[in-house]
Amino acid sequence: MTGAVRADRWFSLLTMTRLLGAAVAVTLLLAHRVTDWDVPLAVLATAWTAATLIAFGRSARLRHSPVAWGVDTVAALGLVLASGDWRSPFYVFALTTLVLPATRLPSRAAAVWGVTFAATYGVVALLTRQVPSDTLSNTIRLETLATHMFVPIIITMALGYSSGLLRRLRLAREESERLAVQAERQRIAWELHDSAKQRVHAAHLILSALDGQVQDGGHGLVDAALAELRAAGADMETSVAELRMPLDGRPVDVLLRERAAELERAGVATIDVRGSLPSLSPLVAAHTYRIAAEALTNAVRHARSSAITVTLGRDPGGGRLVIDDDGVGMPTGAQPGGHGLRSMRGRAETIGAALEIRPGDDGRGTRVALQLPPIPDQNGATA
Amino acid sequence: MIRVILVDDHPAMRAGLTAVLRSEPGIVALGAASSADDLPLTLNRTRPDVVLLDYHLPGTDGLTICRQLKRTVPAPAVLLYSAYADASLVVPALLAGADGMLHKSAPAPELFDAIRTVARGDRVLPPVDREMLEAAGAELDPQDLPILGMTIEGTPPAEIAATLRLDPAELSGRIDAMVQRLRVDVPAPTA
Repeated sequence: MTGAVRADRWFSLLTMTRLLGAAVAVTLLLAHRVTDWDVPLAVLATAWTAATLIAFGRSARLRHSPVAWGVDTVAALGLVLASGDWRSPFYVFALTTLVLPATRLPSRAAAVWGVTFAATYGVVALLTRQVPSDTLSNTIRLETLATHMFVPIIITMALGYSSGLLRRLRLAREESERLAVQAERQRIAWELHDSAKQRVHAAHLILSALDGQVQDGGHGLVDAALAELRAAGADMETSVAELRMPLDGRPVDVLLRERAAELERAGVATIDVRGSLPSLSPLVAAHTYRIAAEALTNAVRHARSSAITVTLGRDPGGGRLVIDDDGVGMPTGAQPGGHGLRSMRGRAETIGAALEIRPGDDGRGTRVALQLPPIPDQNGATA
Repeated sequence: MIRVILVDDHPAMRAGLTAVLRSEPGIVALGAASSADDLPLTLNRTRPDVVLLDYHLPGTDGLTICRQLKRTVPAPAVLLYSAYADASLVVPALLAGADGMLHKSAPAPELFDAIRTVARGDRVLPPVDREMLEAAGAELDPQDLPILGMTIEGTPPAEIAATLRLDPAELSGRIDAMVQRLRVDVPAPTA
């Protein structure tokens, strides 16, 4: 939680400016004796500063809530009104209420917020009955008021522009990183396929030609070496497929439905995908998809299933994925060459999910159940 | 003596195959081409009985080359030898006129058997089942389905042309187009 708050640069700006604004207001109040109720006003301002900073610091939801911003603004303008003059010690303090809306709202909405603030400030100025209308000194005062009303608009625009720029920069950086990673994956996939796998095939071929020429005792060894080479080839194929088809941020539900449709077209089984998963982090999503895809492949290819049901669900503890088939069932123990099952378990372990593979409820087929770990709250507060 | 040439762009695979074929009596490896460009020269020089053809080749694919090989006279037997020899390739391979298909992970004795079989004029292809045919049919123009059916039953092109009252050159063009349509795309590296 603390980490998320520290990472929020705009909250840091709010903290700094508001502490400064409060300090200025309290100093001016106590030094110049602006009104008859200076001391209670200073205490109130200090308390409100502490309360808002703690509340906004604790809750990401409040930091993003227009209602909270509105309450904050009304309170600050209330302090301006209470000080009896629109040239109030609380002017800077009131300006700090613009930080969150200006940096969180889309640019147009932020501009509207700024203008509304200025207009409200103008109303407050009228309410303080300190806006006379003739003489030269009054003209100067009117100009000062205009400046006071203009500053919030400029602040809102500037902050909105900077935060938009920073957001775009971050997106551009993420995109270029993603592209670089993708290019690198393609390169590795190609090298793996083009070079390493061909050599494995060649070695397998040469060794298999030798099989007829070895002494009796050697057969077992050659066969074992051949099996290893075949497994290496299969491993590489899996890796190449993975490297070539990253999820690219698409949701697991969509990918699984696509994969199911592909398998349906190629095979004899009907695959029904129901429900949906909560949104997952990229790593969890990638492994979840591979586990499910492997289970589907097993069900279609090895278990000779004719009907497969994929049930996706969300619950407070995380997401849940269950694949039921009506096939011949899966071997439960560790099998030699059971690469698929081993990799499914490895993946589940990597993401802290619980994987259960057992016979179906009525004793037929197989049920693969994956319980995903709880999802950390997006806003930084733990659920 | 069965005369064999190889077409494979991977040096390790060419070296391995040559070594393995050399060890087998009755089969002789006469040469190896690393790309479609090298192939005509190797072909003219050696006049092979069997061409052992990789599926994925730089700039082209085994099916396209197979079609070209089958137009030469006398046409060699073609054995598609690939790391992608899965079910989705069977129908396109048949259409392209391949005599056999073998996965690169098959052990050497199986390779020797396959070479002998195609050299005799027989096929080494998995049987075409209903799903494969339906999958291929869905990709093709309905007008081309009779050609697909007859080719799979092993009807020679001249007879197909006569039955459908087509010009042999036109039939050949249509088959080329069908092969291109059914071609299995193997992802190429991004440069």
